[in-house]
Amino acid sequence: MSFFRRKRLFTILISLIILVGLIGFSLRDREELSSVEEFIQDTVGSFQNVLLRPVYYVRDIVGNIDEMKHVYEENQQLKENLSTYQQKLYEVQELTKENEALQAVLDKTEALTDYQPIQATVIARSPEQWFNQVTINKGKQHGVEKDMAVITASGMIGKIQSSAQFTSTVLLLNGFDRSNRISVNVDLPETDSDAKGFILGYDDAREQLLLEFTDSYEDIALETTVFSSGLGGVFPKGLEIGSIEEVTTDQYGLTQIAYVKLSADIKELNHVIVVDRLLTSIDEVEESGDE
Amino acid sequence: MSRLFPLLMLFVLIIFQGINFLFIPNSFEANGFIVTIHGVFIFLIMIALYYDEETSYYSFLYAIISGLVLDIVYSPVIGVYMFSYAVVMYVVHHLRKVLHVNFYVASFVFFLSITLVDVIIYWVYQLIGVTALHLQSYIEQRLLMTLAINYVVFLIQFVLFKRLLARYSFERFEQK
Repeated sequence: MSFFRRKRLFTILISLIILVGLIGFSLRDREELSSVEEFIQDTVGSFQNVLLRPVYYVRDIVGNIDEMKHVYEENQQLKENLSTYQQKLYEVQELTKENEALQAVLDKTEALTDYQPIQATVIARSPEQWFNQVTINKGKQHGVEKDMAVITASGMIGKIQSSAQFTSTVLLLNGFDRSNRISVNVDLPETDSDAKGFILGYDDAREQLLLEFTDSYEDIALETTVFSSGLGGVFPKGLEIGSIEEVTTDQYGLTQIAYVKLSADIKELNHVIVVDRLLTSIDEVEESGDE
Repeated sequence: MSRLFPLLMLFVLIIFQGINFLFIPNSFEANGFIVTIHGVFIFLIMIALYYDEETSYYSFLYAIISGLVLDIVYSPVIGVYMFSYAVVMYVVHHLRKVLHVNFYVASFVFFLSITLVDVIIYWVYQLIGVTALHLQSYIEQRLLMTLAINYVVFLIQFVLFKRLLARYSFERFEQK
């Protein structure tokens, strides 16, 4: 009998060691998933891609019927907006031409704003709400790499956390913490320069992003749009993130912080775009130089 | 079929874990509730109660496998679901030996094991810093609602799978 008791203790100890080992293995900062993980993720992912399609289809139809109720009001509003856009469109076309011409004069072909879009569809969301991660149906074979930005038409929603061969997981903006900052610009109305800062994390209670400015700026207007600056080395320049809701100082009164409301709706995700920055960062240049 | 059915069903349920958010009403999140549907684990309870023999440990084995797959596919931390599923399934398997299984006992086992699983998952995630929720707010915001929602899932699975599992169990273990 005492032998069994000892054996049971032994098993408990072994399983605890396995638990701690696996957690340690997955929590350390790794560049790539192991091939076993990739295989399991791809297998489940491809089945999800097929089996869950009809479910999403039904959801979209229900959503469409819901939207139809507001179609008339929206149409009126959109017509009003459209007339102002004609003017803007002309301006933008002129500016693009001018910009291209000037860049040609300067012999500058690469810019921080350039990126190649990879279209993807969300196929699953983590059942554990503490993780804020979704799975998309594009992976390494389609050119998706770790740390790429993910956007929708209305703004940025997150970045690639890990990529398998045919699927990838996306860490949404509400799961960001201090270890994955985004360098951002905020347009200042009076001067030519932009206010610079970092996205520090997500405030769960307010459901808004926390922005810390590197300097102290006086005239930051509310509702100003926040863009990525491209200086963090990972994301391209000019991705819309959100708009400023409140400007205050931090708890010690030393730095200026702001709360940013997200432009994109991260609760209702369907089609997303993975952003592959064309301009290589310094790290990547060094890596290719080593080879 | 009697051998394949539990594994096949587990795989389908693992896939459907990815759209669980569609089944949770939006008003829950607006009110600050965090709900997780443990569809796979509920099916494991059904296997333990109606499929497994006293000497076979299929529910335990399946718990380890499906826990590992859930970890890899749906979370960046591997091992948490696997550990909690395996430990609680072991307890359920031993409970089954002393209990005479009927609907009320099954409900009791369900409440006990789901509470255990969810608390272990919360406890480990809190330990490694995934969540900073305090015990009191965890119970208020997550545990009670999770139990309620999962009980509905349990009732559905009970109606759908109980007879089927009992039949396949009979075919596999008795008919020889």
